[in-house]
Amino acid sequence: MITGAMPRPLAGQALALAGLLLLACCASLLWGAGDVGPGRALAVMLGQGDAEARFVVTTLRGSRTLVGLAVGMALGVAGALLQTLSRNPLAEPGLLGVSAGSAFAVAVALLLGTSAATLRIGVAQLGALLGCLCVLGVARVRGLGQDPVRLVLAGAAFSGLLSALTTLLLLFDQRAADEIRFWVVGSLSGRGIDDLLAVLPSFMLATAITLLIARPMAALALGERMAAGLGHHPGRVRLLAILVVALLVGGATAIAGPIAFVGLVVPFAARALAGPDIRRSLWLCLLIGPLMILSADIISRLVVAPSELPLGVLTALCGAPVLVAVVRRRRLPTL
Amino acid sequence: MSLLPFTAPRQRRLLAGLTLGLSVAALAMAPASAQARSLETAHGEIEIEGQPERVVTLYEGALDAALAAGVTPLAAVATRGGEGVADYLSDRVPDIAMVGTSREFNLEAIATQNPDLILASPYLSDEQYQLISRLAPTVVPENNGFSPDGWKAETRLYGKALGRTAAVEAALEDVQTRAEALEAELQASDTTASLVRWMPQGPLVMSSELFSTGMLEAVGLNVTDSGLVKDGRPHSDPLSLENLEQVDQDLLFLATLNDEGRQALDTARQSPAFARLDVVERDRVFAVNGQLWTSASGPLAARAVLDDIEAALLPDSE
Repeated sequence: MITGAMPRPLAGQALALAGLLLLACCASLLWGAGDVGPGRALAVMLGQGDAEARFVVTTLRGSRTLVGLAVGMALGVAGALLQTLSRNPLAEPGLLGVSAGSAFAVAVALLLGTSAATLRIGVAQLGALLGCLCVLGVARVRGLGQDPVRLVLAGAAFSGLLSALTTLLLLFDQRAADEIRFWVVGSLSGRGIDDLLAVLPSFMLATAITLLIARPMAALALGERMAAGLGHHPGRVRLLAILVVALLVGGATAIAGPIAFVGLVVPFAARALAGPDIRRSLWLCLLIGPLMILSADIISRLVVAPSELPLGVLTALCGAPVLVAVVRRRRLPTL
Repeated sequence: MSLLPFTAPRQRRLLAGLTLGLSVAALAMAPASAQARSLETAHGEIEIEGQPERVVTLYEGALDAALAAGVTPLAAVATRGGEGVADYLSDRVPDIAMVGTSREFNLEAIATQNPDLILASPYLSDEQYQLISRLAPTVVPENNGFSPDGWKAETRLYGKALGRTAAVEAALEDVQTRAEALEAELQASDTTASLVRWMPQGPLVMSSELFSTGMLEAVGLNVTDSGLVKDGRPHSDPLSLENLEQVDQDLLFLATLNDEGRQALDTARQSPAFARLDVVERDRVFAVNGQLWTSASGPLAARAVLDDIEAALLPDSE
């Protein structure tokens, strides 16, 4: 599957995925847990419709669709970078404890009494950065880096530790607990444009760095010596990539809560389509990430209406089988 | 059932003394409540005699009932979302010991209190009952599911166990009188109301079968949960923001576990879906204390809820 020997027509694939994504965006505006059905929503999109429907479509569904797009892109790209960086197809922000790190940091911040949206983003990104460094530090212990499954095990242990600590913190302050509990499973509901604008600067910074390091990252995939021989600085590139992952995962976690498995499934699908070169697969990640988040979000609204399922539950339902499938292959592809 | 398994040797000797020497006098002169009495509990009939002095309550409704009956328990469980007893009771029992939360008890802490009566919740599990009832006679009311008046039967049972039937009846009577007076004053039989707990992802609609929604009904309001709460559940799942109009009644009581109910209301107002509700625009949303409104029950809680209702709906009456 992952041969990369024959460069496939990237533009065609990207166009098809972009079409699907457009469909998902429309569906996200048309369907919801409320009374405003596709008919009334369509009227709004065509410039008519009643005030109630207009409010639901533009303010509620519109903003969560935009947030879903941003979160999906961030998690997809972060997953691809983390996998290339660790040369491990199972590296995923959720599985490796990066999300858990930022969730823990946010829980600490909430307990200390902060509630300003911008501060929370900074805290989440710092937590993600620490989580990233911890896990990759473990991965550099001799031998561990060679075995993708062991890295995931280390990440799982780290995640478990952090979520235990988060639970412990919540026990100290039961009042905050009720508010955090819903955030910890991940959701797009009730997120507004304000939240999105607050993370936008850090997402732009992450994009700029990603464009800078895409080529060296591709070289890094060939091996450290090869990359150095091609004139890159593996250490510096790796550090920048970790910074990007922390910015993206921390930002996404701050607005939508920890959402697992997106960073695993999206690069997996992108590589299957575009081959292993990150300069190609990254483009597809930008499209597949939001596609997955939006589809999961639409399902989460419909299955238990008039309530909604937490988004994190659905992405885990889609993602876990992919993880099992990758692990069950006789030979794990190393990146 | 025999009296013996539940009484300590000391009490047994006392009982023997009573029956030998003073039985006639005791029957004639002691207050009726101090006599041995049998209680119908969820775990069968149990007998209690005398006036229990070392009482431990493992349920907020039981603490409330005991205080209303004039008994100060030695220990109690923390209120939902708090570390001590609910705010409306904390002044009455400044030194009460904590022996757990509504879900988990610290058996050793209970045993340390050396209780002679334990008042537990109707939701106490069989396993927990088997353990706790070894420490002292344990009164568990029959679990009849959620009902707005269930707390009255519970209160009467606790009162009987404490040997204070008269005091409890007086407290219940007091609540009844107060509610009827408020109902007459409000004249609100056409007014609809709902009680929700605000969550960032959307509100939890509280069942209309609860204690506090029962108090709203008692003063004549029509409480609705819009059919969103499944049978046997205290509240709905978090309602999607798209469906907020389902709580858009004449009045909206917004319960929060934070002290600063006002602050929770401000947070809710920031949500565009909430701010555009008719009830919000008419400014008929009232922040109430969730410890009292969604966790407590009993005659004292009833009075406190009635106070809240009066302060909200008749602000000029004082």
